[in-house]
Amino acid sequence: MTASARDRIMASVRDGLLRAVLPDATADRAGRWEPPAQVPPREVLVDQFSRTLAALTGHVHRAATATEAADIVIGVAAAHGAASCLSWGDEHLGCPGLLSLLAARGLARVTYEMSGDSVERGRTAHDVGRVDLGLTGAHAALADSGAIVLVCGPGRGRLASLLPPIHVAIVSERRMWPALPALVQAEPGLLDAGSNVVVVAGPSRTADIEMTLTHGVHGPKHVHVILVP
Amino acid sequence: MHDAALAFHRRIDAALADGALRRALALTTGRLARGRTDAFAAMPDAEACRTEARRIRAHTIAHLDRYLDEFTRAAEARGGRIHWAETAADATRIVTDIARRHGITLAVKSKSMVTEEIELNAALEQAGVRVVETDLGEFVVQLAADRPSHIIAPIVHLSRGDVARLFQEKLGAGQDDVADIPAMTAFARRTLRSEFLDAGMGISGVNLAVAETGSLCIVTNEGNGRLTTSLPRLHVAILGLERIVPTAADLAVVLTLLARSATGQALSVYTNVITGPRRRGPGAGPEAGGEPDGPEELHIVIVDNGRSRLLGGELAEILYCVRCGACLNACPVYRHIGGHAYGSVYPGPVGSVVTPGLMGLDDWSEVAQASSLCGACRDVCPVRIDLPHLLLKLREQAARRKLAPLWLRLAMPLYSAVATRPALYRRLGSIAAWLARAVERDGWIRQLPGPFAAWSASRDFPAPAAQSFVQQHEARGVVTGAAS
Amino acid sequence: MNEPPPVTKRPTRVQLFATCLVDRFFPGVGHATVAVLERQGLQVDVPLDQTCCGQPAFNGGFVEAAAAMARHTIDVLSRSSDPVVVPSGSCADMIVNHYPGLLAGDPIYADKARALAARTFEFSQFLVDVLGVTPADAQPGPSLAYHASCHGLRGLGLREQPRRLLGAVAGGRCTDLPDAETCCGFGGLFAVKMGPVSSAMLRSKLDAIDASGAEVVVATDVSCLMHIGGGLHRRGSRVRTRHIAEVVADSSHA
Repeated sequence: MTASARDRIMASVRDGLLRAVLPDATADRAGRWEPPAQVPPREVLVDQFSRTLAALTGHVHRAATATEAADIVIGVAAAHGAASCLSWGDEHLGCPGLLSLLAARGLARVTYEMSGDSVERGRTAHDVGRVDLGLTGAHAALADSGAIVLVCGPGRGRLASLLPPIHVAIVSERRMWPALPALVQAEPGLLDAGSNVVVVAGPSRTADIEMTLTHGVHGPKHVHVILVP
Repeated sequence: MHDAALAFHRRIDAALADGALRRALALTTGRLARGRTDAFAAMPDAEACRTEARRIRAHTIAHLDRYLDEFTRAAEARGGRIHWAETAADATRIVTDIARRHGITLAVKSKSMVTEEIELNAALEQAGVRVVETDLGEFVVQLAADRPSHIIAPIVHLSRGDVARLFQEKLGAGQDDVADIPAMTAFARRTLRSEFLDAGMGISGVNLAVAETGSLCIVTNEGNGRLTTSLPRLHVAILGLERIVPTAADLAVVLTLLARSATGQALSVYTNVITGPRRRGPGAGPEAGGEPDGPEELHIVIVDNGRSRLLGGELAEILYCVRCGACLNACPVYRHIGGHAYGSVYPGPVGSVVTPGLMGLDDWSEVAQASSLCGACRDVCPVRIDLPHLLLKLREQAARRKLAPLWLRLAMPLYSAVATRPALYRRLGSIAAWLARAVERDGWIRQLPGPFAAWSASRDFPAPAAQSFVQQHEARGVVTGAAS
Repeated sequence: MNEPPPVTKRPTRVQLFATCLVDRFFPGVGHATVAVLERQGLQVDVPLDQTCCGQPAFNGGFVEAAAAMARHTIDVLSRSSDPVVVPSGSCADMIVNHYPGLLAGDPIYADKARALAARTFEFSQFLVDVLGVTPADAQPGPSLAYHASCHGLRGLGLREQPRRLLGAVAGGRCTDLPDAETCCGFGGLFAVKMGPVSSAMLRSKLDAIDASGAEVVVATDVSCLMHIGGGLHRRGSRVRTRHIAEVVADSSHA
């Protein structure tokens, strides 16, 4: 049944293409626009990233060591009364030893695994949804949009950057890119790296009601990015 | 006048009479349009990027069969299940079947115009599935049993008081919950969070699909797109068959323009790319090394619903559209009448082509007349769709099908017959000028007759000159060129 | 579409296509255009059998009617190969950008349409791009507010030329209206077919004129000006409308 619907639609598409008026359609795929070859120095990109994210009401910190990073995370947690966190695995945070430092300082890590069963999932989600702070690494950062790129995968769940009202992300300054096209051009397989690749530009926002901006509608209300070497 | 046309004009009148709506529209479209202007001014290669985005979309549509095929294979190879829907009814049947098979009683939805086009919510409700819109604006629209009035700002037509009342009446919100906009937003977050956590199915649209990897890109500012596509066990994505680009690099180019065109943001807060359902590791159980979360099943419903027919003609360029909404913000007509007046899912300049294109000219030709052809829309379209040209094509089709009002159908050939006979043209012009003397005062005519009366509602009309310019110039004695 | 056709040497003769609205309602604009061109040392031919470019029919989708008027206009303007000057952005846009497509399937007129399109110019475009009218000392006079008529602006790319010309003859006296590039709501038959919307758009334009405090509104198209002027007159406003050719003709320069 479905196969024949597909056949009919494809036949209809092919038939349409015989008569389609499509201005500026080229036969070849080759692109003619490239991201600028001249990449600004890293400090310039880091500065642009920081300003842009700050303008979106995100926060940017710098930490040279895991201890400094832990200080920042604990500080953010304390400011919001967060007692527990959802976190990516230690090996994915890009800050070796951070998780044990946090555990030692009283920020308990909640782990989870979503089961295949719908009811079980719901229960897990409700539990996990009570956690106050989410901690992730990041695959890259984008200077022009103040965004970070999260690739989910084993040890890198989606929920850490999604459910808690606070999201703290650790990203290496060496992973700072000018903009998305430059990153994708350098890493053409990026989208396939996991079932979910998400580019996050600051805290969740809406201006649906009378064009008045508010944050934290569904996603995190507070976004902190810790830049590490 | 045709019923549908009359209804359109009534809706326009209602919109024009709504002062609050017009102020909100002016504010919203103004702000969004300025956002776009600023964002583009800050991009040194904006025009090159637009040219490339147009080229990408044009190339894709010109090879749509190839890319649909590639997309399907890539998506299936990564565990997605593809369904094909020729009509809206087919699409809703497919989704309700999936829901029934899995015993779904609650579905959460992130904003999707194509799901409104196919009227999915009603079909699911009939099948016993409670559907919750999660985009704040759409959530409010759903509570109010209303329709969104702008692609990007669905409740531009409602005030905070309207929203507060809705929350109190329909959701039992307390005074504190609706004290101000942040409170209302927090209330909505709490209410919707439990729906996200309990829902068995998440339904989304797709901003752009990527053929090479079978990926789906969904952008939101609120995060409901992520929650919808990550929490429930099932994710059903509805994809209009033209919303596709060949590669990730192409997606990145279009994304560079999408949010900038829509609101002036460099990127939406969440650019969410989904490639297949949750990836399991080898073996079973939590230690198997797969992804810790994500939907178990991903269903992609590819919808035609008139798109392939639209492809087969002179309106095909409208399929390049990436639904950014910039044309709405630029359009002076939209700014005055808003989205509801257009009477369908797609308002504004893009809607005035898409709606007759998908739904047929018989009921929708009047919408194609609702433009002064000023071209502001074409100026801001990220893929440079020549909307005025497409509107002219629609008007041509409407004229051929005799959908234009009778007086015009008589007047046009008559005018043409006169204007191709210069002597007759001049004589009739002189007669008209002479007749006008009876009704003009101080060089102005206060009330025009017949179908031109609408002019006189707000304007005086200049009296024709007793002698035309050509007559006066000829009388001066400086004459060359063939005499008539 | 936006680039002026290349012109190698300065012409000595031009043809004037007055347009139906100028011809019937604003003959003064026609005389002003002739005067300005003659002051530039050009001989101006006014073919007596010119009528209408066909744009109202074209915009309404009545292509046969439009094509008939296009053929007539092409005949009228093709007896000579002199450049054609049009005191209207929308009519010039019709000839330049729409005649070729409209008559693309006509074995006789397809080439003629293209040839005519290549030598047709809107008035300010002709003065600035072809004649290279240079700025001179601006003259005193009333404050002018410029409204950018849509088809000239977006169809012919007339972003600079009218403003340069007005700057040359009026200097700082001429400024853009607020929202100068927003459509006034005339749109040809749109003004009666979509009367209430057209009136709403007009009201926005009139409010902008109020806000500007200008005494005179200037544009390249009498179509916009008769719509705006009709609204101003209905309101009893003292603000007048002038076509750019009249403003230029009034000044002793250009």
